[in-house]
Amino acid sequence: MTATDRQRRFELLVLPHLDAAYNLARWLAGNPADAEDVVQTAYLRAFRYFETWRGGDVRVWLLAIVRNSFTDWARENRSARLVFRAEPIDADHDPTPPLWTEPTRDPEAQVLGELDGQSLATLVQGLAPEYREVLILREMEDMSYKQIAAVVGVPIGTVMSRLARARALLRRAWLAMEVA
Amino acid sequence: MTPHPACARSDLELGRLADGEVGVVRRFLLSRHLRHCAACAARYEEILTMRRTLRERLPAHRAPPALAARIGAALAAENRPAPVPSHPRRPAAFGARLGGVLAGGGVGVLAGIGLTLLVMGGSARGDRLTEDVLASHLRSMMGDHLTDVPTSDRHTVKPWLSARLDVSPPVHDFAAEGFPLVGGRLDYLDGHPAAAVVYRSDRHVINLFVWHDPQGGEAPPAVRLRQGFTVICWRKAGMGACAVSDVERATLERFVSLVAAAG
Repeated sequence: MTATDRQRRFELLVLPHLDAAYNLARWLAGNPADAEDVVQTAYLRAFRYFETWRGGDVRVWLLAIVRNSFTDWARENRSARLVFRAEPIDADHDPTPPLWTEPTRDPEAQVLGELDGQSLATLVQGLAPEYREVLILREMEDMSYKQIAAVVGVPIGTVMSRLARARALLRRAWLAMEVA
Repeated sequence: MTPHPACARSDLELGRLADGEVGVVRRFLLSRHLRHCAACAARYEEILTMRRTLRERLPAHRAPPALAARIGAALAAENRPAPVPSHPRRPAAFGARLGGVLAGGGVGVLAGIGLTLLVMGGSARGDRLTEDVLASHLRSMMGDHLTDVPTSDRHTVKPWLSARLDVSPPVHDFAAEGFPLVGGRLDYLDGHPAAAVVYRSDRHVINLFVWHDPQGGEAPPAVRLRQGFTVICWRKAGMGACAVSDVERATLERFVSLVAAAG
């Protein structure tokens, strides 16, 4: 295969997922300029290591590279705030107490009300990156737990607990925003 | 309310249920539990509400067109030391590979949607057309050239295209059906000029290619699946047409049935 064949094959397979790659990078980096840098780095890396793609799900393979590129970028830029924690606090080993229920005097206040897209985006952006990413991959990319586990590089059980935790945290922030 | 033993890990379990990530037995047990436990039922509803709201409202970030161009240039630069072949389009190895993918994927079960949908076997012409359609679709989304006439007004798009082609393509706004018209574009398919009528379905782009088909004849819509994209082509009344998108196949089939019905 000539170099041009290789590039064309890469483009046909991988470029269609540019929006997914950008969306993930944008949600992780939090701004367009850094997201573009991360995506461009990821694509070059993916191109260099195209042979490591074993014919599976291209999107999973690519998004894993995007995520790694983001992690490297965040480390280089010393954005401690952005770096994933190796193990999120209590999420994996603490099934009790229920995260979902919080005591409240007014049962009505526990109902999730309407939120517009911008408010919702603010809440999601406010989550720690390890929770934000599983939520984005699940709800925006519609990935299965198995696919998310492959992108993030953690066991499926960790994906489950992070998602549960992400939803609990989002719910809490959601209710707080409604009160405010 | 006394928590049921099954409620102990309910956040996780109910999330799995909502995500469709439980086996059939557990789904049955959880569903039964939900009928008897108001607390869990309320939580489950809330997870569904949250999920629906996120899916419907959380803003999706689309890659800026300039980024695709930059990546393309970076890839080319990476490749530069290599010789440039005289026929950059459709290398044989790649075509053979796609052919294999098609042969494997083309035997899917067909669902009728009021149309007779056929999967073409392995005709070389159909393969080439499908590949051309897919390549045009990708090109249209990569650069900054999705439309020449960016308007949802079909009375602008149709005459613009008719004036430039030997075919008067059907142009409709199916906004009410979930496929708003985005605009029109001149394109080339298989060496012939073609009208590209551009629609959207949520975040996805649908390109509908229409061209003059001198052989005439009729061919019912044929579905091909390629790399996560669906291509549906048919011929009717002296026109050839192909719709392509990365929407769900059923969605594109619904789109095609609308186009076919509108004439």
